[in-house]
Amino acid sequence: MRRVVQVAVREFVVTVSNRAFVIGLLIMPALIALFAAIMPRMFSGRDYKVEGEIRIIDPTGLVAPQVRAALDARQIAARRVEQAERALANAPAAVRDLAGKPVDQSLQAALGPVPDLRLEERPASADIQQEKAWLTEKSPGLPHLAIVVIHPNAVTPTAGEEGYGTYDLYVPSNVDDRADGEIQQSLREALINARGEAQSLNRAKINALIQVPRVRSVTVTEGNERQTVRGFNIFLPVSVAALLFIGVMTGGQALLTSTVEEKSNRVIEVLLSAVSPMELMAGKLIGQMAVSLLVLALYIAMGLTVLTSLSLFGLFNPWLIFYVLVFFIIMYLVFGSLMMAIGASVNEMREAQGLMMPLMLILMVPWILWFPISRNPDSLSSIALSFLPPVNTFAMLLRMASNTPPPWWQVWLSIMIGVASVFAAIWFAAKVFRIGLLMYGKPPNLATLIRWARSA
Amino acid sequence: MNNAITLKGVRKTFGQTTAVDDLDLVIPANALYGFIGPNGAGKTTSIRMIMSILFPDRGELSVLGFQSAMEAKDRIGYLPEERGLYRKMRVGAFLTYMAKLKGVTDPSLQKRVESALESVGLAGTARKRCEELSKGMMQKVQFVAATIHRPDLLILDEPFSGLDPVSARLLRDLVLAEHKRGAAILFSTHVMTHAEELCDSVVMIHQGRKVLDERIAKIRRQYDPRRILFDPLDPDADLSSLRSLAEVERLERSERGYEVLLAEGTDPAQAMRRIVQTVTPARLEVSRPKLEDIFINLVSGGLANTESVEALRAGLTENAAKAAAV
Repeated sequence: MRRVVQVAVREFVVTVSNRAFVIGLLIMPALIALFAAIMPRMFSGRDYKVEGEIRIIDPTGLVAPQVRAALDARQIAARRVEQAERALANAPAAVRDLAGKPVDQSLQAALGPVPDLRLEERPASADIQQEKAWLTEKSPGLPHLAIVVIHPNAVTPTAGEEGYGTYDLYVPSNVDDRADGEIQQSLREALINARGEAQSLNRAKINALIQVPRVRSVTVTEGNERQTVRGFNIFLPVSVAALLFIGVMTGGQALLTSTVEEKSNRVIEVLLSAVSPMELMAGKLIGQMAVSLLVLALYIAMGLTVLTSLSLFGLFNPWLIFYVLVFFIIMYLVFGSLMMAIGASVNEMREAQGLMMPLMLILMVPWILWFPISRNPDSLSSIALSFLPPVNTFAMLLRMASNTPPPWWQVWLSIMIGVASVFAAIWFAAKVFRIGLLMYGKPPNLATLIRWARSA
Repeated sequence: MNNAITLKGVRKTFGQTTAVDDLDLVIPANALYGFIGPNGAGKTTSIRMIMSILFPDRGELSVLGFQSAMEAKDRIGYLPEERGLYRKMRVGAFLTYMAKLKGVTDPSLQKRVESALESVGLAGTARKRCEELSKGMMQKVQFVAATIHRPDLLILDEPFSGLDPVSARLLRDLVLAEHKRGAAILFSTHVMTHAEELCDSVVMIHQGRKVLDERIAKIRRQYDPRRILFDPLDPDADLSSLRSLAEVERLERSERGYEVLLAEGTDPAQAMRRIVQTVTPARLEVSRPKLEDIFINLVSGGLANTESVEALRAGLTENAAKAAAV
């Protein structure tokens, strides 16, 4: 045991004191913070102003005035605020707080300058083919954005028909989608108003009739209730799966690299003079597991800090952390031991790629299954996958983090199956590890590894 | 006194290849034993079995009184043929790590490491990274790693491979110092002259089988070919009188002068006196049998032709050692 501890301590110290590890550890949260800071700015319309001229051919004579009104800067600004407020209504209170107060001003700032769209009416008899040439003309002033041709029955249906007509929209090739969106939104607004007026209906009344504000649902739990946060039930499983993936990859990759390095440096036989292959393997597994747990602890702490700061901690079942750690240890021991076996059987990293492929594919499976399992955690396929090693760890955690967690006996059955798969993986890996360590020359294939395991 | 190593009927095969076949070996405590044979003879496999890195298919094995080296690893020092260092690790940290793995709990371990480095001429290198050392320096560090815990048994697999003459001499002195301290030493080499210079006893193996296991002095006596090297002072001297001596069976011209093959039962001292009286010599000495010749004599029975014998001889010389080092 003393030797196992010595090997483990060395593995841990060498890994965590490595500059690349420290950078790798900090780079993920740093990237997240960077994106959080940069992305809104990159996608904000702050630096872009929709401006240009629009021509309209309106045989009804009723739509053009409404379009002119809808394109008014104050109207556009009011419309944008209304839409954004609707979106924010479903966000957590902390997110709404972050959006700033007053909401109006902060949204205006985020959405960028109010568009400057000017309307020019053309006679109803205008030749559309000739008008189209205007779109492609080089203009020294405002760009020519669109020609709108209102259908004659756009405001009043043709006699004998129930449906309304619409409009045709012609745009140049370089029109920005934001300009296109603003134009279409204004036309929709204008057509509804024109149709309402034609039927002597008040727009405010129509709005009041069709408006049903979205309510904030309340999630009721035993002895507690809280506001429902949409998206959390999707976000949580994928975060848990990502944690497991990061932990397993961190440890597994380090085990593979260090074993290949020890073998290619020819230090392995020097080590084997002091420790048995099993002691070496156990020490390395434990040392790298400690490294991975450190990484997980850091990420979990960061996640909990974010949840607490957004007042969302109440949505989170703390027992999930315990199960994440249990399933991580199972997953890590399976993949870590197999990675070490691969590391021991090859001479350099390049040769390990082919043997690693099946393991990498298995690690990709949860990402493929994440959405179906999260959506239908109690489906037959979800239940079956949560008992099928080695993906059972991912599948069960996805189910546990979903909004209908499995019964406890299923969780513990999956853990027992996981423990059995750990024993099987370590049995196989130990045999391959012992033989592979002193084998040089042609790298083995999967069949050779299986033969080694059977013969050892 | 307990034996350091005992092997009885040990056999190891890899697939269809028999690497070691029915090997019996006894290395007494405090012995300095050479394990010799050409490349591929089975030396490294035998040593790995002794070290419990490989396990025999058949036979019994005992190391320092234990059934397995696993139980005595802290008392064994091992310098493998395939040896390396953690390139990024500092020399002092590597030696400390190896010492701790070997159960050294000495609070003054740091001092022990520094003094061991000093003894091999590497004072002040403890803070250097292993990758900063020259190849010779690395080999010294590897030797220190094998002996830092002051083992009772030191096993060296091809320790002189790739060493320059100065480093080889230093290593030889270090091995002798370990032996003087009381460690039993088994070292393998395919260069017989190294074994001749260093060992009390040798065990020779060929194609996995033991062909000789004896003390060096006894080997020389046993395999003395009754040859005397003779070079006349006068190159034109008449040697017919020499041929007619009763003590002389045959006189042969050789590259080094003449070789006198003595008659069966002749005392070499008496024969040398008679030769001096007959023809004045520029040189006269007993031709010592070389281990290399003895080995080839022992195994050449199975070899079909002279080319095979020469190939075997080539595998037992310094040139082969240098080639292996390269």
